[in-house]
Amino acid sequence: MTTEKVLKDLQSAVLRYDSEAAVKAAKSAIAEKVDPLMAIEKGLVPAIEQIGEKFEKMEIYLPELMLAGEAMKSALALLLPMLPKGVAGTKATVVIGTVQGDVHEIGKNIVSSMLMAGGFNVIDLGVDVKTITFVEEAKKNAAKIIGASALMSSTIGSQKDIIDYLVSTGERKKVAVLVGGGPTTKEWAKEIGAEGCGMNAAEAVQLAKKFAKGR
Amino acid sequence: MDKALNGKPMSETDYQLKVFAPKVMEKVKEHKIKYDPANPIQSDGSIADEVFEAGMELLLDVGAYCTTSGRVISFTEQEIKESLRNAPSKVWFGEGKDRKALVPRKVGDKTPPWCLLGAGGGPCSSDRSFLTLVEGYAEIPETDGITTPAITRVGGMRVRPASPLEVLAAMRNAVLAREACNRSGRQGIPIMNSLSTAESDIALAAALHPKYGMRDSDGYMICCMDPMKVDFARLNKVAVALSLGGPIGMCFGPLLGGYSGGPEGTAVSNVAHHMMGLLVYQSSWLLPFTIHLRYVASSPRDMLWVISTMGQAVSRNTHLLSINLNYTTAGPCTPMALFETSASVTAAVVSGLSIESVGIATNKHEDRTTPVEPRISAEVGHAVAGMKLSDANELAKDLLKTYEAKLASPPLGKSLYECWDQETRKPSGEYRRVIKKFKTDLASMGVDLRPEPYA
Repeated sequence: MTTEKVLKDLQSAVLRYDSEAAVKAAKSAIAEKVDPLMAIEKGLVPAIEQIGEKFEKMEIYLPELMLAGEAMKSALALLLPMLPKGVAGTKATVVIGTVQGDVHEIGKNIVSSMLMAGGFNVIDLGVDVKTITFVEEAKKNAAKIIGASALMSSTIGSQKDIIDYLVSTGERKKVAVLVGGGPTTKEWAKEIGAEGCGMNAAEAVQLAKKFAKGR
Repeated sequence: MDKALNGKPMSETDYQLKVFAPKVMEKVKEHKIKYDPANPIQSDGSIADEVFEAGMELLLDVGAYCTTSGRVISFTEQEIKESLRNAPSKVWFGEGKDRKALVPRKVGDKTPPWCLLGAGGGPCSSDRSFLTLVEGYAEIPETDGITTPAITRVGGMRVRPASPLEVLAAMRNAVLAREACNRSGRQGIPIMNSLSTAESDIALAAALHPKYGMRDSDGYMICCMDPMKVDFARLNKVAVALSLGGPIGMCFGPLLGGYSGGPEGTAVSNVAHHMMGLLVYQSSWLLPFTIHLRYVASSPRDMLWVISTMGQAVSRNTHLLSINLNYTTAGPCTPMALFETSASVTAAVVSGLSIESVGIATNKHEDRTTPVEPRISAEVGHAVAGMKLSDANELAKDLLKTYEAKLASPPLGKSLYECWDQETRKPSGEYRRVIKKFKTDLASMGVDLRPEPYA
């Protein structure tokens, strides 16, 4: 199998939202000794970027975006360990979740998938995530960014708690905090000392790119 | 509870992505449902009937999902049909002279819509702004029920979820809402989003102690998670509201562009959510509030189609009591917000729905709402009741012309006290001029609203 065919299969799997095909293509890439970085950068990334663009234009919707993200994740799980030490393969690690007391996940899922489409390594902690979990997971995974989502006006206070915790543990300078969700605004982000507020998924990705190397 | 504990085990992701989303697409295809951007308020009853059938089949095929137990709650066709048959066709709300029955409406119905007016749970920074707003809502002649803002601070401290602060804020929500209605001389008016500040079950239960003033004639709104999801905290709220004897209204907002897909799937999903609300949340009334994923509002063209088609589907085929909540992108003191709410309200009212109005400027900014926007929404709702779908479609097109190009960067307008005088309880001079011009423009589109009450 040629390198070209492997790259095409990787792209096609993501564009067809097919996790099984993505795993198969990633295994072929490894078997054929295709440079794993090339498999990621020339195979998976262009496809997921295309998916992100289609979602932005609302040519596809959330389920397709998430399924494409799942397909990409399945392939990355095989390809990333093959990279030589010191080669990142993705832009940076983002730890993302919906804050404590809040179980709304759609906005978080959209941003999570769009970040993945933007080439980030995304660790999605789910919903109702304790403040300490955001901080510990960021530390454990050397994340450059924490993304904290909140839908309710009664839950956005937990976004501030994350920043307070980072300050008190001396970790604040290592990680950028981006907030988003229904009641969050740029004014709120400024008030609590967050690096930014994504008013939509595209803006969240732009902000993440800005802070991909840290604060 | 038995179904929530013993239904088919499944992961939430699988339910959403592998069961719900593909099944919605399948139903849209099977029933040949097609969005027509040229007609935001469509007049073809057969499309609405297909959407209704597709919605019922969707619920039958996918059921609901309990995130706490990780189980699918399935229903038989007989259970769904019985729930539709047994759903109340009239619910009384309020007390004394403010007591009134919420009744079903039909397509083109001349009966004015039930006007549930206020902020739809929008954030509000202080007791002062909460009282200002709710007094203003209670003074609107068309107000049948009040939808309060949500309190975000207690004693200057920001509310934290399921904390004593949230419990205290929910208690304040109850007390202050009643106080504001008392001050306005409408002691009996129902508060129907009881209680928007209480996101957690414990906060709701605590604030329902009789001394805080909530009544069984108020409305108990419990929000469903998209898509078709419930958890034990929400079921706890159901148990508490039922024990009080309060009528439950499930609110649900399948996002256009979310798990339900495009406009066609979102309309189908809305119908399924109506039925799921009866069965899972024990609702006697329902509150759809679909919003657009990109604009976080109900006013874009495809959203008008969803509201109208879903409304016709429900009102042509059931006697359900359905109240549509709308959001605008633009803020107070802008003509755009008034045009946006007029379009969404028109789509709902002519299609057989009642209205909850309104979440202003996507309902995310603290104190960026006034009593003007719900009042105008209600005036429009009363004015278009009885209008033919085809006429409403032309009106919607005219309204869209005024704001459609600006949806991506809408004006946020002014905050509460920048355009509303707390003492005189009137809009500012600037806002009065905006309203006057809006009413002139709307009259030129064929809808005459009453003259402004201010000199």
